[in-house]
Amino acid sequence: MTGFLVRRLLQMIPVLFFVSVITFVLIHLVPGDAARLILGEQAPPDALAALRRELGLDQPPYVQYGRWVGAMAHGDFGSSFRDRRPVFATLMQKLPVTGELAAASVLIAWSLAVPAGVLAAWRQRTVVDYGASVAALLGLSLPSFWSGIMLIYLFAVHLHWLPASGFTPPTEDLGRNLRGLVMPAFVLGLFFAAVVMRQLRSSMIEVLRADFVRTAKAKGLDSRLVIVRHALRNAVIPVLTVMGIQLGVLLGGAVITETIFALPGLGQLAVNSIYTRDYPMLEGVVMLSALTILAINLAVDVLYSLIDPRIKLTEPSS
Amino acid sequence: MRRWTVLLLASALIAGALVSASAQGARRGGTLQVGLDADPPNLDPHRSTAAVDRQVFQNLYDKLVDTDETLAIIPMLATSWTVSRDGKTVTFGLRRGVTFQDGTPFNAEAVRYNFQRMLDPKFPSARRSELGPIVRVTVLDPSTVEIVLEKPFSPLLYALTDRAGMMISPAAAQKEGLNFALHPVGAGPFSFVEKVPQDRITLQRNPAYWNSGRPYLDRIVFRPFVDDNARVANLKSGDVEIINIVPYQLIPELSKEASQPGARFRLLERGAFQWQGIWLNVTKPPFDNKLLREALNATIDRNVIANVVLQGSAFPAYSFFPVGTPAYDPAGKVPPRDLALARKKLQEAGHPNGFSFTMELQPRTDYRQVAQAVQSMAAGAGIQIKIQLVEFGTLLDDGDKLKHEAMLLGWSGRPDPDLDIYPHITQSGIGSFNYAGYANPKVQALLDAARLLTSMDQRRRAYSQATKILMDDLPYLWLYFPKEYKLLSTRVQGFVQVPDGMMRFRTVWLAP
Repeated sequence: MTGFLVRRLLQMIPVLFFVSVITFVLIHLVPGDAARLILGEQAPPDALAALRRELGLDQPPYVQYGRWVGAMAHGDFGSSFRDRRPVFATLMQKLPVTGELAAASVLIAWSLAVPAGVLAAWRQRTVVDYGASVAALLGLSLPSFWSGIMLIYLFAVHLHWLPASGFTPPTEDLGRNLRGLVMPAFVLGLFFAAVVMRQLRSSMIEVLRADFVRTAKAKGLDSRLVIVRHALRNAVIPVLTVMGIQLGVLLGGAVITETIFALPGLGQLAVNSIYTRDYPMLEGVVMLSALTILAINLAVDVLYSLIDPRIKLTEPSS
Repeated sequence: MRRWTVLLLASALIAGALVSASAQGARRGGTLQVGLDADPPNLDPHRSTAAVDRQVFQNLYDKLVDTDETLAIIPMLATSWTVSRDGKTVTFGLRRGVTFQDGTPFNAEAVRYNFQRMLDPKFPSARRSELGPIVRVTVLDPSTVEIVLEKPFSPLLYALTDRAGMMISPAAAQKEGLNFALHPVGAGPFSFVEKVPQDRITLQRNPAYWNSGRPYLDRIVFRPFVDDNARVANLKSGDVEIINIVPYQLIPELSKEASQPGARFRLLERGAFQWQGIWLNVTKPPFDNKLLREALNATIDRNVIANVVLQGSAFPAYSFFPVGTPAYDPAGKVPPRDLALARKKLQEAGHPNGFSFTMELQPRTDYRQVAQAVQSMAAGAGIQIKIQLVEFGTLLDDGDKLKHEAMLLGWSGRPDPDLDIYPHITQSGIGSFNYAGYANPKVQALLDAARLLTSMDQRRRAYSQATKILMDDLPYLWLYFPKEYKLLSTRVQGFVQVPDGMMRFRTVWLAP
């Protein structure tokens, strides 16, 4: 297990290196001069030159890249082009918002999808199955900017049950924090519930046909027990893999959800940084997202072995 | 007799407005939640370029002079100003006993420091071009300061009603240097508490504000809502009390809702400040050919754009000077749609069956709908428009390098007419603001002359003449002037709407 973890952590280094190169190149390929966007349309040439010097944009790209990666290796993510706010501190301010939103929506997704997926597989080709499939299709096809606004009108404008927007840190007021989280997490969770439910249904159907399930049933075990203890445990592994991969999509979906509900998360930060050509901030967001996705995927691999003890996290068998 | 009645009525109305805006019945306390269309990127007024920054600045920084709701210049930190006969010296008498929010005294020395900071070639200032040809700023005594210009520059006073006139604390600026935007200190009615990017900017009442008794509010919280529908929904739910930009497609519905009894919000409308239209790049085909510019222009029905496409939320445009601004010319005429003329011009240009071009625009709902309307109008004469949606930074880059053929893009407007026209249409603006790449010595001479003239009547005549030439040459097709709207809760009292769209909260209080 330790060997596995060390190896996987070491493997992250080249991945992060490539991510950093690709990010840097892509950002610098987008047309638009950062200094010009910061100083505005009427900026005189000497002011632009002064700003480019201040931001290091007068240096050749490889020097800029070297400086950025060099500083990052020492834990310095630089500061925003816009208002010189330190990048790392800003990321740490945003991470809990998106993190909480992602966690809550995954929780909502699983608590909706697991019962629905299991029921749909167990009662295949019945009203339950078709109903769950239609619900999943709706969840996949409702655009979040639309469902978000509809929820706001229902629960904030008409019923006044929930705040329409904003984020309160849980340390400040947990109740407000959770109330503010309900709608965005539901909107984002709905999409994932659909993905998880479809995936779980098909892998469940496969597992329910497996020999060991028939054996368990033949032993006279209660069918509910068979489903929960034997079938679900095996069916859930491919779903976990999908979820790990879908995490990138989740971060993408968070951009829209954060915009609708005015949540100050990483998604909004990324979009704003692209528009303003805030290179250090955007590079920081991408690096942090890459790191998070790598870490979650590692966590998923570890989860496999916990769910299915037959999967051993050791040296690759050769 | 009739005139007297009108006058009486008008003065009664003005008196009423003044009373409601004055301390009578005003309540101290409370937090005003403000919804903005974007996160203000830079809180240093000498470096800021985003219009949304200015919404916060109005309350954080006092300016040397301000504009009132009729766009007249009124005293603020400067109580008097005189312009010398030759127009090259402007002398300001300053308000006494004013301190910045950090306790630093506001005086002539502080004013001199602010100008020096904005003009320093080593400092990446965004204000220099607004200030004109300043030679020096001299402290005459602690409350008198003199600005000496190389030649007269009539736009200076109006420039000082905006960011260039916002005074920052010299002590704070020297201490923070380029980090001033993170810890801004001004002399305005509210002082800075904190900014959480993309979440909120909090200001609190400045107890030492020079206008004693004001402001009334304890706090202001500015929150960005990028999504138009979400911004409006948050106002309706009561999560915010006022929003700066009201989406035009919701105006008819909101105006109906606001006029119903028991409505919890009001919709205010006052004048127009921005201009919107199409840049035609005259440096390359097809629009280096004046006949083709004329042909396209003749296909456009500006009344339909303003009243049908934009549902009456804009005025049809025929110059760079929106309805109600100082240089507005009421004698101007909206060019009519004339397909026969368009066909004739196409014939003369040797394109009897029309031509095609690409028009770049930002992916905004209003721009898209206007572009589609223009597209179908032009198609009436056989002119094919390809609409290309481009992100703002890329659009500016194309405009600077004159890579585009045509571009749908407007301007947020400034109180002084000079900044609404000069950089956009003269040689000096090519590579920055002049997206037509157009230069004309006659226009240049008129606009240069307007900078030297001190009376607005004389300036207006120069601008009208320049407009005539531009109307004939057509480097820019003016389309519409969006009207200025504010949507606010009925709890918000004492709000004075200024056509520049900037929200000043020094007189605002919250009803229970």
